[in-house]
Amino acid sequence: MYAVRAGGLTKRFATTTAVDGVDLAVAPGEVRGLLGPNGAGKTTLLRMLFGLVAPDAGSVELLGRPAADPGGEALRDVGGFVEEPAFYPYLSGAANLSLLARLDGGPSAAAVTEALTRVGLDGRGGDRVAGYSTGMKQRLGLAAALLRSPRLLLLDEPTSGLDPGGTQAVTALVRELAADGVAILLSSHQIGELERVCDTYTVMRRGRVVWDGSATELICAAPASAYALATSDDEAALRIAAEHPGVRAGRARRGGLALALEADRLDGFVLALGDARVAVRRLDLLASPLETMFFALTADDAAVDRLEPEELAETVLAAS
Amino acid sequence: MSSAAPSIPAAATRPIGGEDPIWNAFRAELQKLGAQLTIRLLALACVACPFAFAAVLKVQSGTPNDALFGVYAHSSGYALSLVLLTFAGNWGLPVIAGLIGGDLFAAEDRHGTWKTILTRSCTRIDVFVAKLLAAAALAVGLTLLLALASLLAGVLLIGANSMVDLSGVTTSSGQMLLLTVLSWLLCLLPTLAYTSIAILFSIASRNGIVGVLGPLFVALVTQLLFLIGNGVIVHLLLPGSAYLGWHGLFTAHRFLGPLVISSLVSVAWIVGCVWASLAILRRRDFLASAERRGPGWRTPVKAVAATAALVAALALLSDVGPSAVTEHRLSAAIGEEFNRLTLRQQELIGRQVPAGAKLDVLPTCNRRAAKAEGPGDWTCSLNVYLPQAHAVPFSATSVEYDVSVDAGGCFKASSPPSFIGGPTMVDAAGETVTNPLYVVYGCFNTL
Repeated sequence: MYAVRAGGLTKRFATTTAVDGVDLAVAPGEVRGLLGPNGAGKTTLLRMLFGLVAPDAGSVELLGRPAADPGGEALRDVGGFVEEPAFYPYLSGAANLSLLARLDGGPSAAAVTEALTRVGLDGRGGDRVAGYSTGMKQRLGLAAALLRSPRLLLLDEPTSGLDPGGTQAVTALVRELAADGVAILLSSHQIGELERVCDTYTVMRRGRVVWDGSATELICAAPASAYALATSDDEAALRIAAEHPGVRAGRARRGGLALALEADRLDGFVLALGDARVAVRRLDLLASPLETMFFALTADDAAVDRLEPEELAETVLAAS
Repeated sequence: MSSAAPSIPAAATRPIGGEDPIWNAFRAELQKLGAQLTIRLLALACVACPFAFAAVLKVQSGTPNDALFGVYAHSSGYALSLVLLTFAGNWGLPVIAGLIGGDLFAAEDRHGTWKTILTRSCTRIDVFVAKLLAAAALAVGLTLLLALASLLAGVLLIGANSMVDLSGVTTSSGQMLLLTVLSWLLCLLPTLAYTSIAILFSIASRNGIVGVLGPLFVALVTQLLFLIGNGVIVHLLLPGSAYLGWHGLFTAHRFLGPLVISSLVSVAWIVGCVWASLAILRRRDFLASAERRGPGWRTPVKAVAATAALVAALALLSDVGPSAVTEHRLSAAIGEEFNRLTLRQQELIGRQVPAGAKLDVLPTCNRRAAKAEGPGDWTCSLNVYLPQAHAVPFSATSVEYDVSVDAGGCFKASSPPSFIGGPTMVDAAGETVTNPLYVVYGCFNTL
């Protein structure tokens, strides 16, 4: 049984089709990344899963229960949030959690304290939410989701506004929950964060699913990645790159070289540099396979293969 | 698609949704309302205002004569409570209803918290019913708090004294207490109607300011329509008409027709507003803020135009139906009351008034430069035929009263003190008491 099973989900607003016949499935213990540029329909899709928006067509099953009557029983054991988490600013973080726990019928001070501790807000639970930063609200949103001991988590940009430490903690928490069998659907623009936690990906563009598969499949299908390269002899490195099919190299504006090549060609190129006694002083990944794949799938003019390496890196990074 | 675990983990043992979800949501709503500064200040005002009003009256000689029973505010605590009830019915209770119901739903839009509460264990209908019950409980609670505070302020600072009713009959303290409590209780239904209106404004506009001011606007329109129209039909259909229903309890011949009809009208307002609110909420998609609305100005302009058209239509229709205020009704009411109050005045100054005594009073009421019907300013001449020793036939003494009549059939009559005396008089025991003839309050059945 899937934790999420959606078939043919469609939502139209006036003349716009925000979500167009989307099929989606998330298995227990799976962390699925939901990717797409702004306006791809990710948030509307999440809102439909939560029952906040009624689909014009299609069906949703959460944990085996049809979501015909959204909310209530249909969302039992489902946690998460859509867009930035929102709370009552005149209540403290703990009081907000207590109120939400009350809505679930199980107000427990111990559970509230435990959830606050788990997201690193144990010292600030008594403060009014009005004084919380974006990152703290994000943490409180996670605490509110954890309070339900969910078997399915639907998270929209969970690391948005978090500092690097907070991002790492959320990443670790997601992996920990997945290991416990919790199914997680994670929507994010921060592709780098998704790469660390997701087992599978669904990529959306203009309301449609344009790619769906595992992380391994995605990396295999990814076009060239972009790297920054500094060598002892850049001229020689450029010549060697020109002799290697599938490797594109050019001078970077800030010095050094920019490379565009598929991951499986990297080793051969670096060995060739070594054979030619060209020392590699620096090799940095500028745009990962996931980032270039995301760009290739979602950009209006996905000319990944035609872009100069540095331009590719800049464009991909800007798009993602 | 990978599947790290073969099956969905077992549900937690926590009692999620273990209780009735409406009850859970109701308690959560009370928790929110209780934490809001506005609601706390409102509760404080409900307690403090009656005491402040009573304290101000205590230290000054003037009385709020324009309100029913106002002239007795110095002599009976019940009068103070009833004066406050009149004011509350006109403005205070619609304001309370607006502050409670007007922001209850719109606040979720303002804070963006619809998605937070609707992704828990409650359906939107559960949340709607819980909010409705919380608003009703708070509206009833604050109305009763205001009633209790006004009674306590009146009784403690003025005194639990007997008082003249709206027919000129002296009513005992116990009966006044009973009638005053009953009158406040009767105002619960129209207050709930105004709360429902506030909720509808709140849900339809998604704007707390519109929700809070909406009931106040309805109260204002109600007051204006009470002033301009003669017909009884539109008046009875207004949500504020039930605030006048208690007047019929304070007359010698109690009339309950307007009370029953206006109470049923309140119920109709409640049902209509709740139904419309639920229909809007059920159909609503909870979208991101940027997607919520189309062009920003069209909806408000349409709403304002529709409201203006509705008010204009009601104003045009306010003369439809039988007139509530007629010369016959007013003359009969004021004549009978003047009779009783004159005898009451005689008793106060120590003269013997035989049981069943009655003056021969011939009342004639007219309006200045207007048709003799409808609310507004009237003049009543009361020709009193007194048996005098050397006069054959009896000589008539004429007393002129300026009478202000409202659409609910209640009036305030006042006259120069040449015949009736000043605002106070000294009774047989040497005490200064309110002169019952100085300002005469009365009510008659408008149906």
